[in-house]
Amino acid sequence: MKNKEINKNVILKKITVSLTVVLLMGALTAFSYNTKLTSANNYIRVPDATQKKKDSVASVKAFAKVYSVLMSPRCMNCHPKGDVPLQGEDSHLHTMQPKRGKDGKGLYAMKCANCHQPENSPGLHAPPGNPNWHLPPSDMKMVFEGRTAHQLAKQLIDPKQNGHKDMKKLIEHADDGLVLAGWKPAEGYALPPISHAEFKKAWITWLENGAYAPKP
Amino acid sequence: MSVLKINGQSYTIDADENMPLLWAIRDIVGLTGTKYGCGVAQCGACVVHLDGEAVRSCVTKVSRAQGKQITTIEGLSKNNDHPVQQAWQEIDVPQCGYCHSGQIMSAAVLLRENPNPSDQDIDNAMAGNICRCGTYPRIRNAIKIAAEIQRKATKS
Amino acid sequence: MPSITNTSKRNFLKIAGLGGTALYLGLFSSNSSASVINASEIEGDPQSVELNAWVIIDTSGKVTFVDHRAEMGQGSYHSVPQILAEELEVGLNDINVVFGQGNRKYGNQITGGSSTIRSNYKNFLKLTASAREMLIAAAAAKWAVPHQDCYAELGHVIHRPTGKRAHYGELVVAASKMEVPKDVKLKKRADYKLIGKPIRRIDTKLKTNGSVIFGLDKKLPGMMYAAVERNPRLRGKVKSFDATNALKVPGVTKVFKIKMLVFKTYREGVAVIANSTYAAFQGKKALKVEWDDSGFEHINTADIFKRQEENVKTKEGLSYKKQGDPDKAIATAARKLDVVYQTPYQSHYAMEPLNCTAHYQGDKIEVWGPIQAPDWVQDALSGEFGMPREKILVNMTFLGGGFGRKAFMDYPHEAAVISKELNGPVQVVWSREDDATQGPYRPGITYRCEGAINNGKIEALKFRMSGQNNGHWMGGKKDEANDSTSEGFLAPYFDNIKNISFADVPFEIPIPSMWWRSVYASTNGFAFESFLDELSVEAGKDPLALRREYLDERCHKLIDKLEEVSGWKKRKKNEGYGVAITECFSSTVGHIVKVSRRDGGGVKIDKVWAVMDCGWYVNPDIIRAQVEGSIVMGLGAAAFHEVTFKDGMTEQKNFYSYPMPRINDIPPIEVYVMDNAEDAGGVGEPGLPPLAPALTNAIFDLTGKRIRTLPFSLEAV
Repeated sequence: MKNKEINKNVILKKITVSLTVVLLMGALTAFSYNTKLTSANNYIRVPDATQKKKDSVASVKAFAKVYSVLMSPRCMNCHPKGDVPLQGEDSHLHTMQPKRGKDGKGLYAMKCANCHQPENSPGLHAPPGNPNWHLPPSDMKMVFEGRTAHQLAKQLIDPKQNGHKDMKKLIEHADDGLVLAGWKPAEGYALPPISHAEFKKAWITWLENGAYAPKP
Repeated sequence: MSVLKINGQSYTIDADENMPLLWAIRDIVGLTGTKYGCGVAQCGACVVHLDGEAVRSCVTKVSRAQGKQITTIEGLSKNNDHPVQQAWQEIDVPQCGYCHSGQIMSAAVLLRENPNPSDQDIDNAMAGNICRCGTYPRIRNAIKIAAEIQRKATKS
Repeated sequence: MPSITNTSKRNFLKIAGLGGTALYLGLFSSNSSASVINASEIEGDPQSVELNAWVIIDTSGKVTFVDHRAEMGQGSYHSVPQILAEELEVGLNDINVVFGQGNRKYGNQITGGSSTIRSNYKNFLKLTASAREMLIAAAAAKWAVPHQDCYAELGHVIHRPTGKRAHYGELVVAASKMEVPKDVKLKKRADYKLIGKPIRRIDTKLKTNGSVIFGLDKKLPGMMYAAVERNPRLRGKVKSFDATNALKVPGVTKVFKIKMLVFKTYREGVAVIANSTYAAFQGKKALKVEWDDSGFEHINTADIFKRQEENVKTKEGLSYKKQGDPDKAIATAARKLDVVYQTPYQSHYAMEPLNCTAHYQGDKIEVWGPIQAPDWVQDALSGEFGMPREKILVNMTFLGGGFGRKAFMDYPHEAAVISKELNGPVQVVWSREDDATQGPYRPGITYRCEGAINNGKIEALKFRMSGQNNGHWMGGKKDEANDSTSEGFLAPYFDNIKNISFADVPFEIPIPSMWWRSVYASTNGFAFESFLDELSVEAGKDPLALRREYLDERCHKLIDKLEEVSGWKKRKKNEGYGVAITECFSSTVGHIVKVSRRDGGGVKIDKVWAVMDCGWYVNPDIIRAQVEGSIVMGLGAAAFHEVTFKDGMTEQKNFYSYPMPRINDIPPIEVYVMDNAEDAGGVGEPGLPPLAPALTNAIFDLTGKRIRTLPFSLEAV
């Protein structure tokens, strides 16, 4: 009788990037390091410091893992398409509808940290916590919800959409406190689909191999 | 031993640092205006100001509150005359009254940060506070009245 | 609800001067021998006097109102003084209100059935008017002037020609010796200075600065805190428990097994005693308990409704009311309808979770708490502890919401049991989860509604309900139909529809059930008023026009008002309008709900208009507030939450799974109060039942989709 918690995320979860590598190969295009990123291009890579040999197949393969994590509720719930965070394993709109606010930290009497403590609160259904709990700010929303693997990959490496992060900062971001918080869920919440170590490895592999985006 | 600064007064209490501020304030300090409603930050009955922010004291540990300024409903104003309190009195917002310490503390933060709140702003600030008696229409009206009282007070 | 006895039949109004200390106004029990009580009886606390004084005016002129009913938001703490001040001619703010303890001398104290004003106001008016006349008579005698040259105003008697004044306090002793006027003249409604006016509540200021004392705010010297792990199957026992870890929690001092009343049965649990609520809660979490659920049905919600549905489809049940021959009329009708409605179990979720503070002292027990029925608590504890009633002192605090739940004896009994074991004062705090999972609940009910239409007229109505009968928990007869089987149905329909029957098909399960704001009207109303809407469609008539055909003049006026304020006749395309009108506790309320399609799917409520006809009334603003609140609570029960059971246990434990309407869910609400010369009806509850059917009728109007099962999701319509 209760269907408030609509499972919006089911479809997205199912797409977890079953890419045909062979098809991709033919379509790959490499860019020179300083090429301005344009959204018209299907495959992009960012300049990287390591100058490693680029492997577009490995990159796209790694991104599949990255994507599975980013689209898990532990990550996506705070990267909503609207201004209300998502909640729970089914990523429903957060009860009481707190809003992003300019800085991503909520509004008025509904600031994230008013409920979300520096650490997970004990007990089932108590607020998860982190000292830096917030959404992306309103001028850099970094939306994950609803993004295809292709769209998300492109977005992640676009400094205009990723919080002005260059390659170095992107790599460092794997160990960001809030990213790590995904693997310390509060009681009753599921972990992301792979371990943080696996995620970090895939993240770096994706980036260092040219940050190729899967085909749309 | 923890030191809590509540309504401008310091209290040294012997409590587990993990104890929610709510119970420290109610059971140890003895200020009972702050209410228990759910224990999991769902209802807002326990809202107090921690360095000015409307924290849910039922999930805020004593350890987080140390060294910070805590304001409870008892300390919001000296004479029960904060613009929000005046507005609440002007149109008799409370019914049973149990949730209104929290409602008033939340509304006070809204008015401090937005002196002229729209209906949407009111929703954005107040949807974290449940009222089972259903005083929501009056809360909405009272916040607008409080804004007016606050504006007049700043002018004069 | 139990029948609310009009106490004036058993007792009689009296005014007594008690040895020159005060003027006492109240109901004296008919077996009390004298109207003037010996001075020695009243030394000390006036409440120890064996009379049910409601109003005391002492020699300093202070007026004290002893509120023998609970204040849980509905406003009797204010409304009664507003009545008293009118005829007594004192300022409203000069009346000091104290809560009366549980005591038979006050008559029925249960705050329920929306009865505080409607069952007492005439007595209050007569008493205070009589007292005023006695005070005037005393002044006239003192000044040796004619009575008619004197009048009363703001606590003084004034001699009109000379302007001479005397304070009530100076007059009470003399007044108490005056003859009680036989037939005191009451003011006309038009002359009221206070009654009927939207005067601000006298308890509001207490509720804006944290100074109001609810049950949880009661503190006693040396008081311990207790949390109790109760059998999750509502009435089970404790097989064994391990307190090792609980006792390791700092602050926890004791752990022991207890047994508490659940109506006339018992439930077991394990109590954890500590020096703070937090420590008690932590200790409770650390407990390991093995439960004994033998004999308790491990029921699931789906089975409940399946069994009920089978009942109404296959059995006639116990007849409650019958006129004409609906079966025959339905069998031969040109057009007929036969549909089933279902309403879920609901929990009260008062914002103040259950709690009680008790101090067992060997030869007496004193309790403090958010209590709706102090006299019942007295009865229950007296019986359970084998102590005379007068040794059970029951104190009401303000209630942080009640809605029927706090008229139940389990939590005060439990607190007294724990205090006895501890041999000291204790406050038992129910966590939200405890409050949510232990019942009793509003019972879920299945209705079968059959109707016949001939030539556009309703020829017959046949209603059958199947759901738990709350009365059975309080000793009600099982071979009689639920006495609320037709609650909510407007009486004029009986006069104007030939063939009607109501029956109750008995349904029993061991889950404790209890009143929930507006009780059976809240569920019956959904079935009756949805069905009338369906019949209006079947008859090809406007839903309001159809109702007019069978209702009386008083109801017509309410319908006129509804039409006028809502623009019912001027509705536009893409707007859904729905109406419902129900009656309970002697008041009739109509709602019109307007809905439209919501961006992103579903429907949204644009507005609710409500018209309340409660006859004679005290404070229209409190009435509006009660109806606003009823609409919000009704909306919650219609479209936000329900209680479900799995394996005999409640599934919803807190607001995260029993979501409440929040400020962003509430449409604009307009409430109108009818003015007429009718007798007073209830106010706290009658505004709730019409909301659900008015809403689903509006959704039908907009979408053609008929919702027959609650709750539903507005987003998913």
